[in-house]
Order: sequence, then C-alpha cells, then structure tokens
Amino acid sequence: MHEGSITTQIVESISREATRRKAKKVTEVKLTIGELTFLNPEQVKFWYEVLTKDTIMAGSKLIVEEGKGKVRCLKCSYEGSFKYIEDTVLYTPMPTLQCPKCNSSVEIIGGKDCVIRSIKMII
Amino acid sequence: MSKPLGDVVKADEGEVFDIELEENILRANQKIADENRDLLRKHGVTAIDIMGSIGAGKTSLIEKLVELLKNRYRIAAFKGDLTTTIDAEMIRRHGVEVVAINTGKECHLDANLIKKAVQRLDLNSLDLLLIENVGNLICPAEFPLGSEKRIVVVSVTEGPYMIVKHPFIFMDAQVVAINKVDLATAMGVELNKLKNDVAEVNPKTEVVFTNCRTGEGVQEVVEALGL
Repeated sequence: MHEGSITTQIVESISREATRRKAKKVTEVKLTIGELTFLNPEQVKFWYEVLTKDTIMAGSKLIVEEGKGKVRCLKCSYEGSFKYIEDTVLYTPMPTLQCPKCNSSVEIIGGKDCVIRSIKMII
Repeated sequence: MSKPLGDVVKADEGEVFDIELEENILRANQKIADENRDLLRKHGVTAIDIMGSIGAGKTSLIEKLVELLKNRYRIAAFKGDLTTTIDAEMIRRHGVEVVAINTGKECHLDANLIKKAVQRLDLNSLDLLLIENVGNLICPAEFPLGSEKRIVVVSVTEGPYMIVKHPFIFMDAQVVAINKVDLATAMGVELNKLKNDVAEVNPKTEVVFTNCRTGEGVQEVVEALGL
C-alpha cells in the first residue's frame, strides 16, 4: 500500500551505506518483505527501478524474499506458521491467530518486518 | 617504532563487496510509537486508537464514550482526517479538547503525527486520549501509534464480508465494535456470523454489538477496553 514511500526509505538507506563506503556502483540488493506487511513485492520492484534511475544503483538487481508470518502459542508453545482457514468464499486462505495444534490464541513473532539484508557494491 | 608488517590486505580497485546490513525499514515508525507510549504512560494517560472504515461510526462512538466517561476521566481526542475539521467540531461540542490532524493525502495516522499532536496537549491534566484514525481498514494496521489498546469499528452497512476481507487489522485489535445493529435485518447481515468471523481471525478479541446513535452497547465497549 505504501510502496512508494517505503521504497524511497529503502533507496535512501542503500545510498547512505554506499556513500559511506565510497562505492562506485551498487549491483545487487537483498530485501525481505514480511508476509504481514502491506507491501506488494511487484510494486516495490517497480518503485525501486524508478527511484534508482540515474543513480549508482541504476540497473542493480533487487532480490525480494518473503518473510513468512510466524506465531507462537501461549498455551502449547507451538511455533511456526499460521493456521489458515480455507473456504470457497475466501479464495485466498485467511490467516488467523488460532494455534494450528490446540486452537488457543497465538501471538505474532515474525512477518511484520521489511529488512534490507545485504548490498553488493563495487568499491 | 616496530617494523612495518609489510603488505596489508586491501580491496582492489573495482572489487565487489557483499555488505550485510540487516536494516529494518519499518522500525522507524515503531520506535516513535514506543516513545509516544512511554511519554503517555509517564503522565498516566491511557491512549486508545479507534480504527475502522469510512462511515463505520468511529466519531459517533467517541461522542458516546465522551458522554459516558467525561465525569470520570479528563479526556482529549485526536481526530484524523485527510481534510476538514467537521468531525473534530462534533467531538469538541461535548466539552473536551480536540486536536484535528489533517493528513493531507495519507490514508492513516502515523506515530510521528501523534508525537506532534501530543505536544499540543497538557498531559498533566489528562487521563484518557481517544485517537480516531483515518477511515481505512488496511493501512492503519501497519502503523502503530503508541496507544495502549486498539479498537476496530465495523458496521453492518459495510456488508457481510468486512472481517474476512480485512483480517490483518483485526489481528491488531483488542476490541471490535459491530455497529449499526439496528440496521442488520434491513441489510440482511447476520450479527453472529460477523462476531464469529472476528473470533476466527483473533480469538482474544472482545466483540461488542453497538448502536452508536442511541448509545446501545457503548457501556460494554467501555468495559471491554478496561476503562
């Protein structure tokens, strides 16, 4: 939903790091986008291309990985992926905060972040 | 002086470096939200973030909450909207301080806007801060503000699939008010189905049926929020 502004922040961070290290060119960036963020990877890639044009990041490869949503059950200590509800009305399975093992409440412990993992640059 | 070590390993001109960064981009808002929460707690102020779609009844709920609670707590409200102060005036008529936050084009409030609005308040003469987010069931979930609790208001006039279509915002809410219950029959919406949808997405959330025009159910909202 906010890919334009978030990608601007991503590009600024990369640019800061590249300047600090006196890089001549950035060739590759690895990014993890959490399943629970409202960021669409295709949109992020589109904005990345637009925002890096005419910079030392131009033409660099943006590799986006999905950070899977992860939950922890407060009752049975289950840790892992969500319980999804599949229903013909829903088309896309709906994630829930129910424990897949014991149906108690779970807390979210992963999948809400957007992280720049690494940057490849020519120095 | 000791003898030089000889050749030091250096990067060659044009060498490719792979730099681990691990920088979390969404942390910036979370950090300010945490600071807001700390500041409000220090002054004994409880903040509630009220989210929900456009026209769900967020402002009406705040008006009724103010009426019910203004003799027990010293209340202020933030009213987030893209433009205008129409709703802010509606709440102000109930005798509480209101700061209107116009986001311009943004579809949600963020922690930085709350930080700026909080500076307008005298926190020492306040117990409760009601924050009405911009009408939207998507983006506010991504931007915590620093509130103690979050409530989502949905109304039956939005149709029977509002919850299953927007599960993420309900994951972040401690209380859900299903509003305009008097129109459920006319809309052909089954109230218990909506309640069950919330329970499926987030079993910990408390669901309250309300009619914020008449005030029906608002006392239960107060209790569900622990106020």
